[in-house]
Amino acid sequence: MPFKLTPQPFKAAIKEVEVGCGAKAIKLGGEKTFPFYSFDAEMPNAPKVGVEISDLGFENEVAGIKDFYGDVTNVVEMAKKAAAMEGADFVVLRLESADPNGVNKSVDECAELAKAVADAIDAPLAIMGCKNDEKDGELLVKVSEVLEGKNAMILSAKEANYKTIGASAGMAYGQKVGAESAVDINLAKQLNVLLTQLGVKGETVVMNLGTAAAGYGYEYVASTLDRTKAAALGQNDDMLQMPIITPISTETYGVKEAIASEDDMPEWGSQETRAIDMEVVTAAACLASGSNAVILRHPASVATVSTMIKELM
Amino acid sequence: MGRFIIIGERIHCISPVIREAMNTMNPEPILARAKEQLDAGATYIDVNIGPAESNGPELMTWAVKLLQENFNNVPLALDTANKAAIEAGIAVYNRDKGKPIVNSADAGDRLSYVDLAAANDAIVIALCSKGAVPGSLDEIMGFCQELLEHGMMLGMEPTDMWFDPLFLVAKGMQDKQQQILDAIKGFAEMGLNSTGGLSNVSNGMPKELRPIMDSAMLAMSMANGLTSAIVNPCDRRLIETMKSCDILKDNYMYADSYLDL
Repeated sequence: MPFKLTPQPFKAAIKEVEVGCGAKAIKLGGEKTFPFYSFDAEMPNAPKVGVEISDLGFENEVAGIKDFYGDVTNVVEMAKKAAAMEGADFVVLRLESADPNGVNKSVDECAELAKAVADAIDAPLAIMGCKNDEKDGELLVKVSEVLEGKNAMILSAKEANYKTIGASAGMAYGQKVGAESAVDINLAKQLNVLLTQLGVKGETVVMNLGTAAAGYGYEYVASTLDRTKAAALGQNDDMLQMPIITPISTETYGVKEAIASEDDMPEWGSQETRAIDMEVVTAAACLASGSNAVILRHPASVATVSTMIKELM
Repeated sequence: MGRFIIIGERIHCISPVIREAMNTMNPEPILARAKEQLDAGATYIDVNIGPAESNGPELMTWAVKLLQENFNNVPLALDTANKAAIEAGIAVYNRDKGKPIVNSADAGDRLSYVDLAAANDAIVIALCSKGAVPGSLDEIMGFCQELLEHGMMLGMEPTDMWFDPLFLVAKGMQDKQQQILDAIKGFAEMGLNSTGGLSNVSNGMPKELRPIMDSAMLAMSMANGLTSAIVNPCDRRLIETMKSCDILKDNYMYADSYLDL
């Protein structure tokens, strides 16, 4: 008997969230199928790749990243280069210098920088805080205010600070809100419920479900991503239908495979190759399980992953 | 499986307030009852206009339009012995949120309500009885088979037939309760949907006991595979039980606020 292809799109859909303005604006989500199931239905929006830069510069990065930015030390200039990177869909500015346990720059100073970057590029912009929940609770509120009109993505609101960040980014200043949980599907859903109850519209939320570098408990990440998409589409759970964004590089550049030098581990070969491999492998796995956007650092990783997405669409 | 479906039963012409509103075509009491049921967790709203012999089609048309226009095309169960009224209601029914439900057919005098549903691409509640209380599980499953075959001959999807095991009052018919649960399990094993007037179980009991007994029956019925019930969604204990069972059956993802959803 000949094989008859029967497309099986879901009735439910992932919400479509737009980030940025003008011709370079991107749309995340909108699909009615599992990732890249183009035999069931087209994905209306290809997954997107963001390029991460830090306001602390690139001093500790591998050679390929340093070489890409060259002599540029000004963060605004770095952002312009990142926006022009081959395969880049958006730029992610990490305001690491706000960390009270580090440089501890003031909220106003960081917000001013975010504004300068947003004004200098036409690519969509996402802002990451310094990972200190209390400081981020103030910082991301101020950043949301100064970026009014830019339709930026604010990463992220967590259980500890979702009220201030949700109310400013998601309601007062018209940005998109990242809702961050740490590989915990029940908390991810709860955070979406809390943001919705606060008055933030589901269409302005993207979920950062968390990740782990490949080999560091990644199986649990895969099952969380899979179950999220299955509940969103199969059970029509509108509290899990927000698109998923996954910061990859912030995880992979913290594991020994990416940071151990070749001098220390000669049998592992080139550190740079390992760093790129960790980024690419983790990103590819997240995209295959349903991430609608990934955030990467190395130009080779960005080019490779964006090519993979194009080939699969 | 999808989430359990509550069909809200409180728009019923037995209620004096609703009967009066239907007699005078006064929207307010009907809208108020629909709103409280939807807020409480109903998916479908049952619209029982009684026999409505004189003005059935006119009354059902009015009620369907009234409820769907005011509540974003809420899906409805059309509940009357007047077949012309059901057809008139379906003619103006908007299907955006789900097919209309014909309430109800049985395996006896009301078999033709299956035909009515089939002709109008509607869901039908199929009561597994021929007028009397079924004597045994075999009898219930036999009626189920008759109804199913009748519907399928008419081109209906089996999932559009929601089988009703006929919930019976526990006070006086305790010995029948297990048979009802077994019938629900039988429907589920055949992959069929099911529903019914679950609160029959607590008929005649003191008011304060009814939510407890109804909730226990709901939990046991859901464990056996019941997919829907025609109940009063304003019974908070019952709805909390339903939502908790949906979590335990993995019909819906848990979150701490699951009772609010």
